[in-house]
Amino acid sequence: MKTTQQIHEYHLWNKLSKHRSLVSFNIELTARCNNNCHHCYINLPAGDTRAIEKELSRLEINRIADEAVELGALWCLLTGGEPLLRNDFSQIYLDLKKKGLLVSVFTNATLINTEIVQLFKQYPPRAVEVSVYGITAETYEEVTRKQGTFIAFQNGLKLLLDAGIKVRFKAMSLKSNYHEMQRIAEFCRSRSDDVFRFDPFLHLRYDLNEKRNKEIITQRLTPSQIIALERSDIERTDSVKKLCNQQQNATENTTASNLIFNCGIGKHDFTLGWDGTFRLCSALQHPECVYDLRKGNLKDAWLNFAPKVLNMRREPNSIDDCYNCRLVNLCSWCPAHSYLENGSLVTPIKDFCESAHARNKAFGVIDHQTSEHEEI
Amino acid sequence: MDIDLNTKYRITDDVVAREIEGELIIVPLTSGIGDLEDELFTLNETGRSIWAKLDGSHTLKQVIESLNQDFQDSSGSVEGDVVGFVKELIRMKMVITASDE
Repeated sequence: MKTTQQIHEYHLWNKLSKHRSLVSFNIELTARCNNNCHHCYINLPAGDTRAIEKELSRLEINRIADEAVELGALWCLLTGGEPLLRNDFSQIYLDLKKKGLLVSVFTNATLINTEIVQLFKQYPPRAVEVSVYGITAETYEEVTRKQGTFIAFQNGLKLLLDAGIKVRFKAMSLKSNYHEMQRIAEFCRSRSDDVFRFDPFLHLRYDLNEKRNKEIITQRLTPSQIIALERSDIERTDSVKKLCNQQQNATENTTASNLIFNCGIGKHDFTLGWDGTFRLCSALQHPECVYDLRKGNLKDAWLNFAPKVLNMRREPNSIDDCYNCRLVNLCSWCPAHSYLENGSLVTPIKDFCESAHARNKAFGVIDHQTSEHEEI
Repeated sequence: MDIDLNTKYRITDDVVAREIEGELIIVPLTSGIGDLEDELFTLNETGRSIWAKLDGSHTLKQVIESLNQDFQDSSGSVEGDVVGFVKELIRMKMVITASDE
């Protein structure tokens, strides 16, 4: 009469994968953060009053989440900015749990306190994913540019781990912490059995702030640094080699249709922006791809607006673009990142392109020779 | 564990039942529900019928009578199914007696 199944092998996923259906959504509770990281794409100052005024209220979040549940959503990720900056974080978290959602939280852990831990103990999150910027105060605060944040991170993380809360780690790799990445990986893997992931591909900011974008570009690793990092990590080396082997099929079904979005966005999830925007993925900020949920409703956004975005097509004006590139699996290029970088959904991103080609030369086992037209 | 047929049982507030794609999914809300982490619970048709009637306002005996009518079953097998199912739900802390409120 009753069956139990591990979530990852749950047969409902097979059912859901056969058609477009809402399974999960992200909520950016705020665009503000108590850190001021060089590389971050969404970290307005913690006290930014204009941002606070534009943030969705708890009531608005509940209205939209109710609609998401009605559409079938089961998973929900609370992110930011730093979601714990919101004074009503606990109430919102509980509201979502009580709707029958499996809730995960992304945090820098610096604001974790005993009250939050108690909440997580009583009402367990699906996962808490903690960003690690360094494992020494010097490196950590070189990235966050805020004194005292390393101690706050250590204390918050200790509270989580001591309470037995499931923690997953991730790290962005940038010039400021490059020298410490191997130790960061060891630190994370020794504290969680879950997958540790690091990402050296820094995309630009959602608010398109030019000054801050220049800082991000300055922090990007060179292709040779990325390769050295990936070579130093056995797990990463294996996964990059697998990606190299998959490159033949990467664009197989994408070039003929001229669809802009071939990445699977909008099939099972969406992002609820901190200011009430509906987006098919977190990074997709192009004005034509954004719906204002304060003026409309989720059902309209999901059922009517999203299919129009998914049907957007590009001009088949060139064979030299990313849609024809066999290295797409090795590249962080996507239409959303392209827009943030170039103001266009379909333009190559020079830094990502160079890294993809370099990674292919370093790790590729099928064909090291990429054709001339694929080079920028 | 003894099950009293004259007792009223209800679903605990510590789980949320969701119907998705025609399936009833039980989502634990608090810690300590169920046996394992990382699992969801689903009910088959019989389980769903029993689950729906565990509303705290009917004794288990009344639930069994109602299900006998629904299934037009006079073999007595429904009682065994219901008692076994409720025992399991109590063990998993998904069901409590209505007087526990």
